[in-house]
Amino acid sequence: MDLLNNLFIKPFQDMVSAPDFLMQVIWEGLVSGVLYALIALGFVLIYKSSRIFNFAQGIMVVFAALTLVGLHERGVPALLAVPLTLLVMFILAAAIERIVLRPLVNQPDIILFMATIGITLFLIGFGELIFGGENKVMITEDLMIPTGSYVFEPFGGFVLIEQKDLTAVVGAILLVLVLLLFLNRSKMGRAIRALGDDHQAALSVGISLSTIWVLVWFIAGIIALATGIVWGARAGVSFALEVIAFKALPVLMLGGLESVTGAIVGGLAIGVLEKLFEIYWGQPLLGGNTETWFAFVFALIVLLFRPQGLFGEKIIERV
Amino acid sequence: MLYRTTGQFKTSYAADHALFPVRQDAVLMVIVLLFAWVIFPLTANEFVFQALLIPVLIYSLAALGLNILTGYAGQLSLGTGAFMGVGAYACYKLITIFPEMNLLVAIAISGLFSTAVGVAFGIPSLRIKGFYLAIATLAAQFFLVWLFEKWAWLYNYNASGAIQVPNMDMFGIRVAGPTASSMVQYYFVLFVVCVVTYFAINITRGRIGRMWKAVRDMDIAAELVGINLLKAKLIAFAVSSYIVGVSGALFVFLWRGAAEPNLFDIPLSFRVLFIAIIGGLGSILGNYLGAILIVALPVILNIIPEVFGLDINAATIEHLNIMIVGTLIIGVLIIEPHGLARFWAIIREKLIIWPFPH
Amino acid sequence: MKKRFRSVVFGTAICLGSALAVPPAFAEDTIYAPNLAYRTGPFAATGIPLMNGQRDYIMMLNARDGGVNGVKIEYDECETGYSTEKGVECYEKTKSSAVVTQPWSTGITLQVLPKTNVDQIPILAPGYGFSPMSNGKVFQWAFNPPASYWDGASMMLNYVSDGDLSTLGGKKIALLHLDHPFGKEPIPLFEAMAEEHGFEFLPIPVGLKEMQNQSAQWLQIRRENPDYVLMWGWGAMNAGALSEAVKTRYPMDQFIGIWWAGHDDDLKTVGERGKGYKSISWSVPVNDAPVMADIKKHVVDAGDSLIDNPEDMNTVFYQRGILISMFLVEGIKAAQEHFGTKVVTPEQLRWGLANLNIDDAKIAELGMTGMLAPFSTSCDNHTGHADAWILQWDGTKFAPASDRISADRGVIEPLEQAKAMEYADANAPWPINEECS
Repeated sequence: MDLLNNLFIKPFQDMVSAPDFLMQVIWEGLVSGVLYALIALGFVLIYKSSRIFNFAQGIMVVFAALTLVGLHERGVPALLAVPLTLLVMFILAAAIERIVLRPLVNQPDIILFMATIGITLFLIGFGELIFGGENKVMITEDLMIPTGSYVFEPFGGFVLIEQKDLTAVVGAILLVLVLLLFLNRSKMGRAIRALGDDHQAALSVGISLSTIWVLVWFIAGIIALATGIVWGARAGVSFALEVIAFKALPVLMLGGLESVTGAIVGGLAIGVLEKLFEIYWGQPLLGGNTETWFAFVFALIVLLFRPQGLFGEKIIERV
Repeated sequence: MLYRTTGQFKTSYAADHALFPVRQDAVLMVIVLLFAWVIFPLTANEFVFQALLIPVLIYSLAALGLNILTGYAGQLSLGTGAFMGVGAYACYKLITIFPEMNLLVAIAISGLFSTAVGVAFGIPSLRIKGFYLAIATLAAQFFLVWLFEKWAWLYNYNASGAIQVPNMDMFGIRVAGPTASSMVQYYFVLFVVCVVTYFAINITRGRIGRMWKAVRDMDIAAELVGINLLKAKLIAFAVSSYIVGVSGALFVFLWRGAAEPNLFDIPLSFRVLFIAIIGGLGSILGNYLGAILIVALPVILNIIPEVFGLDINAATIEHLNIMIVGTLIIGVLIIEPHGLARFWAIIREKLIIWPFPH
Repeated sequence: MKKRFRSVVFGTAICLGSALAVPPAFAEDTIYAPNLAYRTGPFAATGIPLMNGQRDYIMMLNARDGGVNGVKIEYDECETGYSTEKGVECYEKTKSSAVVTQPWSTGITLQVLPKTNVDQIPILAPGYGFSPMSNGKVFQWAFNPPASYWDGASMMLNYVSDGDLSTLGGKKIALLHLDHPFGKEPIPLFEAMAEEHGFEFLPIPVGLKEMQNQSAQWLQIRRENPDYVLMWGWGAMNAGALSEAVKTRYPMDQFIGIWWAGHDDDLKTVGERGKGYKSISWSVPVNDAPVMADIKKHVVDAGDSLIDNPEDMNTVFYQRGILISMFLVEGIKAAQEHFGTKVVTPEQLRWGLANLNIDDAKIAELGMTGMLAPFSTSCDNHTGHADAWILQWDGTKFAPASDRISADRGVIEPLEQAKAMEYADANAPWPINEECS
């Protein structure tokens, strides 16, 4: 009886009794959700156009953020460091395409997946070799990201909204809009989608595989930089950031590997739900730290009912 | 010349079905076993036992378990580390509840716990496929590691949350614990690995193995020719988890001596996956070759600067190390996506016709 | 194709050859003191300054005095990345020629602990490791001077209660800790103290994957609103906790970290807004101490240091690294004197470490006045239980904000005794040295 009460009644009582706290929890969840969605977006873009499950997206986030901070440390002004970092990400994209992906065209999925793990390891070593392992401070102020916070006082409590989190959310929305516009309206964007739909048909109408691959990896690099700036502003830049890549995986499961919408909806849903679960069920009943697995288990349960995720393409199997 | 197969006639089905139908293969096998059972133990020092021989054996056993699931039955799993953990914690509980239990028996039983957990997490594989399944196995990975951390009963309410292997004897010889000698531990592991490998070879080349391969190559087609997918996939999960669980118990009891939950976290899973893929999916031999490469490489890379008298600081070596391993993975995949086992197959082909090329 | 095989075969042969080659022998007149360092991985941020300090002190001695009593100390790092597995590998690799093992992680310490009895090599784990290691009868080869985690926990409680623990009754104290053997280490003591003095103890674990994303933990802190938050943090966790604390507007002066959570770089991420944050510390940075000048002259200015910027010398962690190497060197000195030999063996070093006598005169002689409190170890007391200070962040640097604080040895000792015996029983047969009086 007590257990049932703790499971089904008390959490909701808690939510109602402190609505300001509930709002704060949801806001925190949304902010992390936006970040998960951004990383997932990088995965989706690459998967869509090349059927590569790009495990290296997480380390690309770290690498981009480190390059930005590292350049700034070496005296490059912040506003110049951003385009320079983008240049580095472009070179990285071109190098990955030329050295890793091109020789591996047409290999089974798992081989390409392993190759991206190889890229991950390489970038970890390379990044640490160049930038060192110290925790670095994101150059938030230099990038003109506001750092103050707003305080609202609904229901006699308070809700704290950090301006940089707000900037992150707004920035992410803009990024997604631009990306959708690019994918749906521009010639290149259509080429990417065509390649995603059918490789051979796309090749036969003259779409260049290697150009598109460099392009999507570069876009994934841009997204990585955006994610790195936002996340780095919250918690500093170090290699420990790499683990957030794992948080994007259940988002992909939930949203579907090919769907941009899925990545965004899945990211936000997982961000909010895992926070609510952790605060109202995980901490009081299970000893906390449930965020490590909640998203995976939740996505697994959803997947049992929809094996291709909420927004994924229907899997049609033929013999 | 060296590997001439001409003239070796098979006069019965039994001879044709033998484990090594080609005589040279059998001879080579005997040589390898001779090295493993006699020459290595006689020449190795403590460091070689602890940093090379024992881990290579244990990792190859774990990779063998994964390879059965991924290489033979085609179900990609990223949760190997957690299943090793289930084996290790089960063994720890068995040993502490029944201190008189023979370690070999305890390890054999602890594999069963891992099997049960593996089958439970394998059930979704009937509906979920490909990368979706891979991510689903991560659910097992993260959930189980969390459980090892939070379920204090598993580590006997020890304040540090770590499990520690007590001193254990078998037939009057110290086999586990801090005072056990490395050579005894090596022989123990070697024995288990040989037995499990023998069974694994025979399962994978028999009826069940063929069933798995059919499922791997196209599960709908396999279902149409009358293979029960539920049974095939669950058997694969069961056998694989059993072997992985046993390797986990060996990992802690015969090598590490103590373990904390995050030992079984995702890096371990990836390490085993590297071994299986670099060694070659769908091959038994590959696991050993892959383990030798992945385990020995960092050790050797660490020694090289010392041997050549280069003064590079430890951190730089480690960074270079990670880069080299990454490059190596990409390199092997590009040169030979089917792994080191295929390398050996090609060498063997060449040897058979050597010295007369086509 | 053929060429490729040949090169593969050739490469393998080279690798095997070098693997079996014996580790290089060391000259007779050096003492080999390896350090299981981590300059990579998620904990590198806190590891690097400590290891730099350790390294530079030894380099300075070698340059200034030609070593210790004429014997050079060979300082060598083996990279672990804070991974227990790599740590054990490093231990195995170095143990044959080393006089000491410095495991640098509670996880590695726990693994190596039972092996040292067999291999007869002392573990030096200053300020970390397993608190009951203080009991020298049970842990004959392990040393954790100058204070253990339980000492630290007790000092923190003494500080927040102003020396009168009974005032804690009815209060709520949260422990934000890394979910790892290191972070769990103080829990038994806090639980015992909570029961005795009637305060509510609330452990809040931070998983290794959550270090940089602690919003759930800090939401919990906001909900529970504890009177004090104590932190057992390490690596990337500290910076994460501090920025969340700033965000949650938790009063900084009620937020106290263990000595490993008082790293200047971590605080720089929050800067001015972290003002008031405290950390208990058995070391105090004294930038103008004579020893610092010597290191600057002989190592940093000579370009032998690994630090990027001479400013980095003025940090808590760098200077703590110096003290840690000092413990080792003093142990070596004591052993040299007692046994009348130059190159000490691990067995002799154990005697040295068990007979450290770091009194005020010695501290002054070493040029370290004010950097640490005096202490001495003995056969059955392997910790020394030195006093510590509260350091407070003033927006740009840490400065002492309290007098010397002592731990309640009366409460801790029985607990240490009980846990040490428990450990010995669980690992029976475990050798216990009954010779200490």
